[in-house]
Amino acid sequence: MNQDQVKDFCMRYLIATDCQIIEKNPAFVKVKLSPQADKDLTGRSYYWSFVERTGAEPETMSFVFVFDPESRKPPEPLGRGTTQGRGPLVVPPSTHEPLIKGDSILERYFGVTPMVAQPGRMIEETLSFGCRRLDQMFAATQSKGSYLQLFEEAPPIQRGSGVSHSYTTWLGVNYKVEYTCDMKREELHSLGICMSTGEIVSHFQQHMCERVLSPRMPAHCQLRDVISLERAVQQLEIHLEKLLQQADYDWARSAQARMNEEITRIHSYYGDLIRTLEAEQKEEMQAQYVRRQQEIEWQYRPRVDVQVMNCGWFHLLTDTLPTVPRSFVNMMQKNNSF
Amino acid sequence: MVNPTNDIIRPINELVNVHFHRDWCAELALRSSRNGPWDHWELARLAIEAVESRLVHSFDQLQCLPHLSQLEPMPHQIDTAKRVLYEMRGRAILADEVGLGKTIEAGLILKEYMIRGLVRKVLILVPASLVLQWVRELNQKFGINATAQKKEYMWTQVDIVIASMDTAKRDPHKSIVLSQEYDMLIIDEAHKLKNSKTSNYIFVNQIRKKYCLLLTATPVQNDLGELYNLITMLKPGQLGGQGQFQSDYVVDKRLPKNEELLQQELSKVMIRNRRSDGGIAYTHRHVRNIPLSLSLEEQALYQGVTDFVRGRYRDASEDAGSMLSLVTLQREVCSSRDAVFLTLVNLFKKMDEQSPYRTQIWGLISLIKQITANTKAEKAMELILGFDPKEKVIVFTEYRATQEYLMKFFKDHGLAAVSYRGGMNRGKKDWMMDLFRNRAQIMVATEAGGEGINLQFCHNMINFDLPWNPMRVEQRIGRVHRLGQDSDVFIYNLCTLGTIEEHIVSLLHEKINMFELVIGDLDTILEQMEEQSTLESRLQKIILESRSDDEIREHLHTIGTAFQNIRTTIAHSPVVPDLRTSIQPPPVYRESEVHP
Repeated sequence: MNQDQVKDFCMRYLIATDCQIIEKNPAFVKVKLSPQADKDLTGRSYYWSFVERTGAEPETMSFVFVFDPESRKPPEPLGRGTTQGRGPLVVPPSTHEPLIKGDSILERYFGVTPMVAQPGRMIEETLSFGCRRLDQMFAATQSKGSYLQLFEEAPPIQRGSGVSHSYTTWLGVNYKVEYTCDMKREELHSLGICMSTGEIVSHFQQHMCERVLSPRMPAHCQLRDVISLERAVQQLEIHLEKLLQQADYDWARSAQARMNEEITRIHSYYGDLIRTLEAEQKEEMQAQYVRRQQEIEWQYRPRVDVQVMNCGWFHLLTDTLPTVPRSFVNMMQKNNSF
Repeated sequence: MVNPTNDIIRPINELVNVHFHRDWCAELALRSSRNGPWDHWELARLAIEAVESRLVHSFDQLQCLPHLSQLEPMPHQIDTAKRVLYEMRGRAILADEVGLGKTIEAGLILKEYMIRGLVRKVLILVPASLVLQWVRELNQKFGINATAQKKEYMWTQVDIVIASMDTAKRDPHKSIVLSQEYDMLIIDEAHKLKNSKTSNYIFVNQIRKKYCLLLTATPVQNDLGELYNLITMLKPGQLGGQGQFQSDYVVDKRLPKNEELLQQELSKVMIRNRRSDGGIAYTHRHVRNIPLSLSLEEQALYQGVTDFVRGRYRDASEDAGSMLSLVTLQREVCSSRDAVFLTLVNLFKKMDEQSPYRTQIWGLISLIKQITANTKAEKAMELILGFDPKEKVIVFTEYRATQEYLMKFFKDHGLAAVSYRGGMNRGKKDWMMDLFRNRAQIMVATEAGGEGINLQFCHNMINFDLPWNPMRVEQRIGRVHRLGQDSDVFIYNLCTLGTIEEHIVSLLHEKINMFELVIGDLDTILEQMEEQSTLESRLQKIILESRSDDEIREHLHTIGTAFQNIRTTIAHSPVVPDLRTSIQPPPVYRESEVHP
């Protein structure tokens, strides 16, 4: 993500969680968090459980998220002598950790200053890819954006025409595939299956992004599925597995070779060693040998893991989708024209 | 209904199984049957964008660099990280010479594994004095949420724990640590594991780990067997069994055979970057001693204090040990009258009212009153005024009182100076550093140790007085002359003639060649020299017990020779060229003006 994408992500997150934007400009945004965003980002679980148990009026925190730190450099401190110990401290905008000067006793104890909850205080932070605050936003979208039910918005029906829209239900699933040994590679597969025909399409997420979807169930809406959830899941997995079979598995072959080499090496090492030991030492060494074997397997054994990032019911006005999303076609046409 | 608990694991080909995680099915079915609650479409879209932005597209391309906005690693650090990841597969000894950034390398490797989701649970064992420094570096430079172990629950509840070896190996901690599995284990100062019979070694050997990094600047100190033990901990059998290793590679405990083969085997588990490798640019270091003659008043005080110290030592001959600190008085006179005044007053307060020494101290204080100017301070100012006003200068002194005197002295003469000392809290230190960088020409510091004081932007250093502990001299130099310094560095040692300072400067500069040593050498040499007592206390003893200057000179000569001998032994002793601590000094131009 570049800084523009970071900014786009952050703004959309703040809006989606109903935060109150106080001031916005290209370099930064000043925002008072909503209760949900406060819970996601400030790590004040104790405070929130207090609020919930006592029914106290919650006081959320405010932030200045900076996207262009260059433009937020503080002005040179003027009129202050250079000798020590006078005046407030000049704190350059810090990125990862909000440095709260004066709380240094905490820092001397913990090594870093933990963020201290102080409602009403404005914390200024630079947001950049890889920083902890952005990672917290990522995690929040993950946990609050997992299970969906959405309806495609239909053109308004004329009253009394007797027509009603018929919806087809699709199950959309975003799979993350991890090819793992001592290293790792990942792929994202977005699949959708039509619950009445069993048709499976790829790039389902892009397809859905091109449609207007709403969480509200429209009037006169009839839903019926032919296929069970269990069957749909099986079909999706079979489909995905076929895709995975076409991948390159050289990495697994060499990981396996590395693993075998290591196993052979420790086999000869411990074999020789254990032979020379007294009976009671033998046992201890045997246990160590087993531990080492397990560690090597843990480190190298090649495997493929498939996890679901999010999923949901998409009730569409169609039971067919083009093989390639429109945005892809547009992109390809654009590229061809050059 | 889908049976939710049944994850599917089946072979995808002859090499690998595919594992379909099914935990989501039950949740989806549950929410469907209850008609909600359903999540927010925009958040779901953002979630997928977040996943895509962090997707690891390739097995062998470093992912962590775009994540590190606070750090620009040096090329040799990136190369090291890549070799550990792609060749050594996450189990390695990082044996760079001191100051080349082993911590940065370890941080890069850790970050990379974390981004790839291969490492979550981490244990980092370091000497107690470095725990907080590690916490700070990982948090601030790498955005890694590492925590210092403080409470017992942290071993299990916190993912990335930093603790001292001494804590971790003690019960109840020990049994908790050994009951867990760590995706990564990092051990700093790993040469402390050189002996396979020690409790440290046995403990670490029992920890269950996937990846493992051992950090040490001195992989071999005395004995090839030490290296064997380290490697065996990491990869048992890499150098064969103990007997095989002895017969294949060892002639004498310090002399290897089959060097090339040994070298080759070592390069599979160990990386040692050295300054002399090139590519790691070090600038020149210019060292200059500035001899000074004390003013008559200062000389009188020095003589008075020396007589006082000798007298007390004579009188208290049965309890000589407690007198050692009296030498400090003599050292302080060489620094400033303020420093010695403060110590005398404290001494006075502690004395019995009838004590005859009280009158002597009164006498000394009246000598102090005679002094109107500080020869060293005048000289320091003369030096500074000779620099371009844009050139920063750091002035080091051992004494708080001298520091305060200098602050006032510079201020009275219209020079902008900031102070820096150990007792300041972190925030204040950072602020002082900021002021020095942006507003003041001079920093007067009493402390060189500790991290955070990196002064690459400063090229001039004045040692107003010198510590007697060579490690502290090295720390001072290391603040300025370090990786990332792009200009030559000028070091000025102020040295008062006819005093003990003259002896010490001559020992450190001429005999020990302190200012030319490569960082890292000193560590090893002192470790061998200081087996019984520290160099500093030996020096104090010599000064106190010698009856004449010649006797002092003779003793210091002995120490200097011993130092040189150890240095030569180390240079020619252990092992394989690649392992030997590099003895090549950085280029130094000496303009010594100290008289013979």
